[in-house]
Amino acid sequence: MAERSFAEEVKKLRAGAGDIFEGEGILAITKALLQSGVSYVGGYQGSPISHLMDVLNDAQEILGELGVHFEANGSEATAAAMLSASINYPLRGAVTWKSTVGTNVASDALSNLASAGVTGGALVIVGEDYGEGSSIMQERSYAFAMKAQMWLMDPRPNLTSITEMVERGFELSEASNTPVFYMMRIRGCHVTGEFVAKDNVAPAFSHETPVTPRRQPEKIILPPFVYEQEREKISQRLPAAINFIREQGLNEHFPGRYESLGIITCGGSYNTVIRALQRQGLADVYGNADVPIYCMNVAYPLVPDELVEFCVGKEQVLVLEEGQPEYIEQGIQTILRRRDVQTRVFGKDIMPMAGEYTGQVMLEGVTRFLLAAKSEEIPLALNLDSVLALQTPVSDEDIAALMENLPPRPAGLCTGCPERPLFSAIKQLQEEMGPFHISSDIGCHSFATAAPFNLGNTIMGYGLSLASSSGMRHALPHKAISIMGDGGFWHNGLTSGVTSAVFNGHDGLLVIIDNGYSAATGGQDIPSLVEPNLIASTIDSPRPQREQWQSIEDACRGAGVEWLQTVSTYNIEAMKRTLREALTTNTPGLKVVIAEGECMLNRQRRVKPLLKQAIDTGQRIDKSRFYIDAETCTGDHGCIRLSGCPSLTIKDNPDPLRVDPVSYVDNSCVGCGVCGTNAHSAVLCPSFSQIDLVFNPSRLEQLTHRVRTGIRQWWRNRDLRSKALAQL
Amino acid sequence: MTTPLKTINMLVAALGGEGGGVLTNWLIEVAKRSGWRCQSTSLAGVAQRTGATIYYLEFIPRAVNQPEPVMSLFPAQGDIDIAVTSEIAEAGRMISRGFISPQRTTLISSNHRVYGITEKSDAADGTADTGFIIELSARYAARFVHFDLLELVQRHGTVISAGLLGAIAGAGVLPFQRDTFAEVLAEGKGAAANRAAFDESFDRAKLGGVAVHDPAPAATFCLPEATTPLGTRLLPVIAALPEDVHEVAYQAVLRLIDYQDEAYAAEFLQRVAKVAAMDSGHDGHGLTRETARWLALWMAFEDIPRVAQLKCRPAREAEIRAEVRAVPGQCIQVTEFFHPRVEEVAALLPKKWGQGLLNSNLCSKLLGSMLGARKLRTDKVLTQWTLRRLASLKGGRRKSLGYSQEWTMIERWFSAVLTAQSLDVARAIADCGGMIKGYGATRHRTTSRLMVILESVEVQEVVTADFIRLAQKAAMSGEDSAAFDDLIQSESALMEHTV
Repeated sequence: MAERSFAEEVKKLRAGAGDIFEGEGILAITKALLQSGVSYVGGYQGSPISHLMDVLNDAQEILGELGVHFEANGSEATAAAMLSASINYPLRGAVTWKSTVGTNVASDALSNLASAGVTGGALVIVGEDYGEGSSIMQERSYAFAMKAQMWLMDPRPNLTSITEMVERGFELSEASNTPVFYMMRIRGCHVTGEFVAKDNVAPAFSHETPVTPRRQPEKIILPPFVYEQEREKISQRLPAAINFIREQGLNEHFPGRYESLGIITCGGSYNTVIRALQRQGLADVYGNADVPIYCMNVAYPLVPDELVEFCVGKEQVLVLEEGQPEYIEQGIQTILRRRDVQTRVFGKDIMPMAGEYTGQVMLEGVTRFLLAAKSEEIPLALNLDSVLALQTPVSDEDIAALMENLPPRPAGLCTGCPERPLFSAIKQLQEEMGPFHISSDIGCHSFATAAPFNLGNTIMGYGLSLASSSGMRHALPHKAISIMGDGGFWHNGLTSGVTSAVFNGHDGLLVIIDNGYSAATGGQDIPSLVEPNLIASTIDSPRPQREQWQSIEDACRGAGVEWLQTVSTYNIEAMKRTLREALTTNTPGLKVVIAEGECMLNRQRRVKPLLKQAIDTGQRIDKSRFYIDAETCTGDHGCIRLSGCPSLTIKDNPDPLRVDPVSYVDNSCVGCGVCGTNAHSAVLCPSFSQIDLVFNPSRLEQLTHRVRTGIRQWWRNRDLRSKALAQL
Repeated sequence: MTTPLKTINMLVAALGGEGGGVLTNWLIEVAKRSGWRCQSTSLAGVAQRTGATIYYLEFIPRAVNQPEPVMSLFPAQGDIDIAVTSEIAEAGRMISRGFISPQRTTLISSNHRVYGITEKSDAADGTADTGFIIELSARYAARFVHFDLLELVQRHGTVISAGLLGAIAGAGVLPFQRDTFAEVLAEGKGAAANRAAFDESFDRAKLGGVAVHDPAPAATFCLPEATTPLGTRLLPVIAALPEDVHEVAYQAVLRLIDYQDEAYAAEFLQRVAKVAAMDSGHDGHGLTRETARWLALWMAFEDIPRVAQLKCRPAREAEIRAEVRAVPGQCIQVTEFFHPRVEEVAALLPKKWGQGLLNSNLCSKLLGSMLGARKLRTDKVLTQWTLRRLASLKGGRRKSLGYSQEWTMIERWFSAVLTAQSLDVARAIADCGGMIKGYGATRHRTTSRLMVILESVEVQEVVTADFIRLAQKAAMSGEDSAAFDDLIQSESALMEHTV
């Protein structure tokens, strides 16, 4: 049950030849896969391609009709290994993941796939998480394509090109027996637009039409075959790819009247180039430019003949390539020098080495390039100074003052998040035991490294927190603490972490946060999920009874863990007690605490309709939320420093004497109970109360309510009379 | 139709969960129905988890027999026609990023604030200066349409995105008809509420929202006529104080009568008069005003009777029902989270007994085992009755251990104000009264840090107001005491050096 449902959108996947398909890039790619007769698809979620997995998930019915096999793989390595189906048989397959992290995880299988070579088209759709909006370290997938000899497509970011290039990608892969990276940038994944659809094509092979098993020893990656495979990459596959790209015209050449100049760009940056030229008065909104452009929808390999043809007779060209090192620029230089083409190549000498080519960066770069034009005087709408001035129209002193008044907005835990009480507990424990060194992991819980918790020292990768604490544990004043999510546990943590730690007699504490979903990537299902999800979900929910799911607990015990406890995160006292014990016990070996609480986003999505239905059908329902007494709150905001819940905020102090804002619970509160529990376990203040709105109360309940209200009313009137005397 | 040379470029900055995606889809649909193309893209990243989300849209008319237009996926500085922000600090962020160009950009924003974690977690007041951001926006945007959209949509029982759509339509920045916007809105969930919010927002924006920022002029307070014997006795005493102090003194007196009795209020006024006598009148008698403010708040310290009194005060029930939007007659249950400790109980007892209790481990342990975390249903009659009994204990307050403990500290602080080396220092010490906050451990931390400051004031020959302010700031920087301790130590070290 993913965060976003594509149930409606996937209907568009049924569009037939000639229909206009409107939607998001991700959805278009899925449609293109179906139009290409893909036989199997898989992958692992992660922005920016999480939605691609969600779409495939929601499209199971359509996939089924066509006989397309789908798997939500356990990791990117699993997904990459899936592609081996295309080694011996003409099966078209596509997998997707977030890159470069996913590519790194998958690298072993990918290298072997690339060495063996493929018969059926194999496409790896990587969401290149580079630049603004990224959530990982900044690297490119390009290097991997080069060293493993896989081709890399980087199509123009409009739906027509995007879908066209998926089909071409399969053909390229088959024509050159080489798996192909299909790169989508963040903004490209989410771009909306339209294209003319084709009919979906059922795969040649599926459960109805199985292949005939056959062995090709020369495709096994063992000596002596690997030596031949390496030679074949260069002697056959590369030339085949280059010929195919050239013959099929995958790269595009757009002529322009200033022929002494040229711009060489990757497809992904094409629109930004056109906009820059347009703003300089050298292109129209339909892409007709005065400067010739060579647009590489295939960024690797380079096509020497096309590059030479483009550059011959040009005084200067500009190579536009995001990130570093400048592989493409180097490649082009080599090609031109070898053919003794003397065109001056501009690239990273005028463009930034690191970071995205945003609108402003592109405009600056293109302007510098055009100003460097020798023989031709090119009229520019904006001179360099006014281009640079665009960066910010704001005066320095205003910027300085503004920065004082711009609150940072780090991503944090959602309202009612089950991980909040866990980190409140750890923070309180830290107060008591002294500063902690914590190995953190990938997931929502990464946000605990930010305010207000500020817990966590390193993040080494998905499911690697426990592994990363093993080098530290002998040199810590306390038992090593590692925090891992359930997603990370199943992805990698069980083997790389738990198994290895037990084997090495790791004496530390591993906290596994079990929220029932792969929450950070959009609430996708994971092995330890049960439907309906029954894990602890609020302060009051009973200890869950679960069946038919892959148990984290059993997995750990199976790996040899003996000290293991499961605690509801919402029970802060119990959590503190358990963690304290785990950190102080003399029992040798790994201590595992499974901190359990259902992802609140998913829970709300799940229970809201049920709750509404229950209320409508006359069932008695308590709806809880929390409330802060502004009269007793003294405005020191200690509660917020322990929680950081979005619904626990501040408002102007209603007290005529006090000046600082008071804490305030807004109506987005879901009544998870953490405020109250914190108030208790940290002995905060008497300002918190839980308010239960009762729907459909029983007759008796209504009666007692009326009696109580009556008595309180009588008291109130008496108070008001005496208060009247206390006026001035 | 003549093809425009350019696209209309729009930037939407929303916060996670505010429906920026919904808004974008509405705009795409409106464009489509108006015969335009709209390309949108977004940067969600991890922003669905409370961070800021940015959507970027480009609009262009559909032209027959023309190739597909090439639109940018990047918002670019100097290339934005319309910037929409769901919250005013985000408008400031867009300005800081250079997306608001004075020649070109219409900035549409709601005036309300959604506080960031650093603002919320400050131990005092860490909120950004909204007035400044609004003033800056008015200066840097070619056109600035802004009003409180949150208040508006909440009145209509809907979400910010519907209000924003109304503001965009009303501002007339997109060449689409009002009806087209309305049609699109009519199809979603909660259509009626959305429509109502849309309409009001549309009209507000059509009028340009608030043209310029005009903060409401602070109402000047004037002392009311006496209506009770109590008033005839106390009001003249307040009136004798400088006029700048009247409001604070008036509110303080009301509070202290409610807290204890007339005599207590009178004591307060005598003390304030002493400060007024030494005040130069600088900063609107700031010294007297602030001393009075913090003195009153400290004198009305929150002990068990006070908390009990506040928990069953007449107005409370209505406040709660309004806040949680209970329909008239609906049952609600109110569960308080109390955590009384031995210290609080001891503070309640007569001085000797209280001391005795604290000194005897046995009694403390015994009592402690009976106290601790409590959840009490204050809507129940018995709990109400108990609270009222506890509240009535205020009669014995003056004899209690807590009272004497608090007053030892109050006197120490107050005399430090009176005997300060300069009025500037006196003011700084007075302001430190604002440190007195919280309950239990928090309260103990804040008071003891104030005592540490007073200590260093008492022992130092020369003490500067700046040092005191610095120390106060450090003291209020939260649970971690490192910053504060370092400051104090370095200062005393400096002292020994100079002595």
